[in-house]
Amino acid sequence: MKFEVSHRTTYHYRRPVVQSHHLVHLHPRQLARQSVLHHSLLIDPAPVKRSEVVDYFGNTAVLLRIEDEHSEFVVHSRSTVEIAAATTPDVAQSSAWEDVASLVSGVGPNPLDPEIQQFICASRLAPKSRDLMQFAAISFTPRRPILAAALDLTQGIFREFRFDPAATDISTPVARVLERKRGVCQDFAHLAIGALRSLGLPARYVSGYLLTRPPPGQVKLAGSDASHAWLSVWAPETGWVDFDPTNGIIPRSEHITVAYGRDYEDISPISGVLLGGGAQTMAVSVDVELVA
Amino acid sequence: MLATGIWLRRLLGWYTSSPAPSGKIPAGVVTTTAVVPTSVPHPGSVDASLDGEHLENSMAAVAPKSPPRIADGAQRIADGYAPAGAHDELINHGGRIGAHWQPLLAGLEALSHEQRLDRVERINMRVREIGIAHDVFADPNRTVQPWRLDLVPLIFSTADWSVIEKAVVQRARLLEAFLGDVYGAQTTLQNGLVPPQLIYSDPSYLRACRNIDPPSGRIQFFAVDLARGQDGSWRVVDSHLETPAGIGYALANRTVLTHVSGEIFAASKTVRLAPFFEQMQESLAQRAGRPDPTIALLTPGPRHEDFFSHAYLASYLGFLLVEGEDLRVDDERVHLKTLNGLQSIDLLVRCVAGASADALELDPSGFLGPVGLVQAARKAPNLVVNALGAALAENRGLGGYLPELCKSLLGEDLAIWDVKKWWLGDAKVRRDVLQNVDRYFIRRACEQTGRPGRAAPARDPATLSAVERSLLIEEIEFDGAGFVAEAKTALGTTPSYGANGLEPMPYAVRVFATATPNGFIVMPGGLAMTVNPGASMALTSPEGASRDVWVVSDTPQPVFKSLWRPAIEAAQTQRSLRELPSRAADNLFWLGRYIENADWTFRLLRNCLSRIEEDSGPHQDWQLMRTALNLQLQRDGAPPVVVPRGLDDARVVAHLARELMVSTDRAFALPQMLGHVHRVASLTRDRLSLEAWRTLNAFYAGREWQPESLPTSIGESLDLIDMGLGVVAAFNGLSHENMTRNFGWSFLDMGRRLSRAANIAQLLLAAFGVRGPNEDDTGSFLFALELADSFITYRSRYRLKPMLAPLLDLLIVDETNPRSLGFQAAALVGHVDQVPQAGKGGERTEVQRIALAMLSDIRLADINRLVETDPDGSRPALTALLTAQIGRIPEISETLTRRYFSILENKPKWMRAQSRQDP
Repeated sequence: MKFEVSHRTTYHYRRPVVQSHHLVHLHPRQLARQSVLHHSLLIDPAPVKRSEVVDYFGNTAVLLRIEDEHSEFVVHSRSTVEIAAATTPDVAQSSAWEDVASLVSGVGPNPLDPEIQQFICASRLAPKSRDLMQFAAISFTPRRPILAAALDLTQGIFREFRFDPAATDISTPVARVLERKRGVCQDFAHLAIGALRSLGLPARYVSGYLLTRPPPGQVKLAGSDASHAWLSVWAPETGWVDFDPTNGIIPRSEHITVAYGRDYEDISPISGVLLGGGAQTMAVSVDVELVA
Repeated sequence: MLATGIWLRRLLGWYTSSPAPSGKIPAGVVTTTAVVPTSVPHPGSVDASLDGEHLENSMAAVAPKSPPRIADGAQRIADGYAPAGAHDELINHGGRIGAHWQPLLAGLEALSHEQRLDRVERINMRVREIGIAHDVFADPNRTVQPWRLDLVPLIFSTADWSVIEKAVVQRARLLEAFLGDVYGAQTTLQNGLVPPQLIYSDPSYLRACRNIDPPSGRIQFFAVDLARGQDGSWRVVDSHLETPAGIGYALANRTVLTHVSGEIFAASKTVRLAPFFEQMQESLAQRAGRPDPTIALLTPGPRHEDFFSHAYLASYLGFLLVEGEDLRVDDERVHLKTLNGLQSIDLLVRCVAGASADALELDPSGFLGPVGLVQAARKAPNLVVNALGAALAENRGLGGYLPELCKSLLGEDLAIWDVKKWWLGDAKVRRDVLQNVDRYFIRRACEQTGRPGRAAPARDPATLSAVERSLLIEEIEFDGAGFVAEAKTALGTTPSYGANGLEPMPYAVRVFATATPNGFIVMPGGLAMTVNPGASMALTSPEGASRDVWVVSDTPQPVFKSLWRPAIEAAQTQRSLRELPSRAADNLFWLGRYIENADWTFRLLRNCLSRIEEDSGPHQDWQLMRTALNLQLQRDGAPPVVVPRGLDDARVVAHLARELMVSTDRAFALPQMLGHVHRVASLTRDRLSLEAWRTLNAFYAGREWQPESLPTSIGESLDLIDMGLGVVAAFNGLSHENMTRNFGWSFLDMGRRLSRAANIAQLLLAAFGVRGPNEDDTGSFLFALELADSFITYRSRYRLKPMLAPLLDLLIVDETNPRSLGFQAAALVGHVDQVPQAGKGGERTEVQRIALAMLSDIRLADINRLVETDPDGSRPALTALLTAQIGRIPEISETLTRRYFSILENKPKWMRAQSRQDP
């Protein structure tokens, strides 16, 4: 399946920004079952310096420096991506989660890629806690296969948590999301990741897009899609498997991966440091279109 | 000629005591009135760096004329010294005193116990003076001195030292190789030599810095804390790689101890530190990779408790001292904002936490370095030392893995092992430790504090309450990766000089190394600190009971050339002309303003108090004294002083003067005034010569200046004021004689000139703006002349009874009188023509125009018109001239601020822009 994605973000600043540095993670990632056919990134005002770097996790990132005084900042990313549908793993056939936990935390010579241990460690936005461990324990019953338990965990979030953009913002800690049972995709992903890590299991954050369909009989509105986030869980039989707690599913072919990292902070689509600016507002317009 | 009589008396001395003056008792409460505009407040905290003029060599100790000899009948100093069993440095296992201690003991025995205690006192006075270990913003009244230095150093023979030296070099090489691997191929993680989780759970592992590979290595500065176990074998307690932690303290300790005990130092043939620092300096220059490099030391700023040590090191090595906000990354290169625009930086000596050094790619709340630093380091990997992310190697959990790492990475056996430590991220180890948890100390695996004495104390489960203990165990069980267990060991001791002579104290020692193109070298010395007995061996004691470390040689040590400002002095002086950071200019300007205001407050107090003491009868203009005192008391909008009822004139003046001496709520009274002087001097610490700094630091370090010990009697007050005037005069003299006439000097002097002009103009306006009832009594003329320190000039020039016209001529127009308004204005015009961005080609800048207007008004003034009086007694011409002058002073100050310091002022803060993922 082939998708065209247009992702346009516009920032308005109350006071002019004199100078700004930005770090952008908008280049879809090349994966075994995902090829990036085309990608362009339009920046306004034009940066005086633009450098492409490959970040720690292998994502393509762009560093920008803007010197023109400006009150509006536009980042427009357009990509064409082809995706082969993933075969849905047989979650019941994965290892018992306790075995995975002891396998990945092993000390001494270990045939596993050490990078996997990266994702059992707490990160700032996806920390570990006893509360999260207890929350996870509802799904992670003794000897349950890790992927079956992970699916149960993410579906539990899907059922019991309310999607509510007003309930959280970018700085809401996971503990509060757990307590209030509300949030957005980013919060749910962090929550699930934190819960898995609290059990000593490897989980990472995935940022990307999701093809949405209008309600039956209606026309899809332009710009009505959004950037999306979910998580990935590691199991020895399958490697990394994606789970989408916001929709309660295992993504197959309609999730377009842009980047992955420990949490949102590693791969935030657009972050920056501004000199000046005052209060800011942001408008995002995303269109994901299935073209073939 | 009664007036002359008074003059002569005053020339003879200030201290002739006489009974309090009698007089009528005025009825009612006397309140005072505000007269003059307030001064411009200081913009706040900022710091500095600069010049080529500089610091004395306190290191080169005085060579003794003859070896010290034991005083007749003196008790042997080591008699009764009884270490409690553990290994001791002074007395070895055979119960004998090592030969390398003999010169020190002989030196101490040549002194009486009282003389030794006197030295201890002098050492600690000097520690306060140098100010190495104090926090700029700490409470100066605290009773606990933050840093104490022992009279007795820790002494090593060259043989003992070479063991340490080799081990420290090996460890530096090992950690360099380890960091190279972790930030590169990570084979040590792949083959299980180090548990990956240990690395990944450490917040100082900076992922953004992976694959930044500095050709000159990641470690430039390295320090290890060592302690001896019961058996005398060395163990490493902690390693320090984040910043050059503590090296400034070691340097200062050496400077102080050799100052006080120089003859013992030299007799001991102690190896000198200077060659080490010279090599460090050369290595840094080479690392920068071009001739005459610009090297800056990046400090978190004056609010950081280590700021002094940073300033000390920066001036010592001849580097610019900068903060994150002084820097800017342009085109992937780091630049310094200077008065002359952006100046590129070749090498950044990092004294800030790596994680906080770039808000764009590292911790988003960290603004201690310039935004974009990581990318600049990608482009120029040698740019930052120690490399960003080097703190990873401080992780205490590594200790147990180092022996294997050393075999694997260096093919060598590890020379000195860590104190027995176990990383609790390993499930099996964790189980074992928790079974017998009371046998261990529990410490954080990553702590990130390099300040000597500030390591967090270990937790001892055996002494915790049951609740605390079970919470700790729970915490370890849940997330063991953040902890290490450390074996409890008895510590070796070394002598300390206390009230009862030599006493054995448990200690640890910090040893420093630096990278050179030919490998690591170790500083032949260090920093030893007392360690709490029964606690972990770590340097946790914030009281900082420290001692110098001497490595003594068998051969006499050559007297080395000055440590201060060695080889690159000339280049640095040249460079500093271009590179005055805006921040430094700002601070020097305010230092000038405060110094001059302090001078004026002192003079005012002296003139008022001495008149009370002299009782010169009806010829005193008490009213003018009150006015002048009130002017100073009510600056910055302070309310009038309430004077008790029923005081005579002299007592009212005494009351106001006392208020000006001791009030802590008034900006221009001594406590706040001297606080300002000290604070701004602290911020410009690296720009001042050691002598200039020590001079001013007397206001901080001297007990007599603490608010609670200010004198109450007039006689004592006068003594103290004279001392204060001496300090200011000494500072002015030192800066005048020693400071290079560059931009830094210009800003310091402009501050001084502006304050002096303001003080004189306000006094003259208050005194003579309206003709006073007793004006012809000369009391007011005399007072004004003396306050403006121009009495002698007046008398020698005019040889007549003070009169207004010649007085105004001398204090306003005469540009040869350094106290006149004209002199100040002329100096200002000179400076504003010199500083960068001065108008070129006839086009004057705003500040040039204002300064020129000040000067022109004075030059055009007609003395005969100035003294003219209207029928109501007012002097319109004089009032107009002085009012205009007074109004221009804040204008100049503000224009300078806007033009030169504005990078720092009213600056919009950096903020973060982020998107959010919504569904």
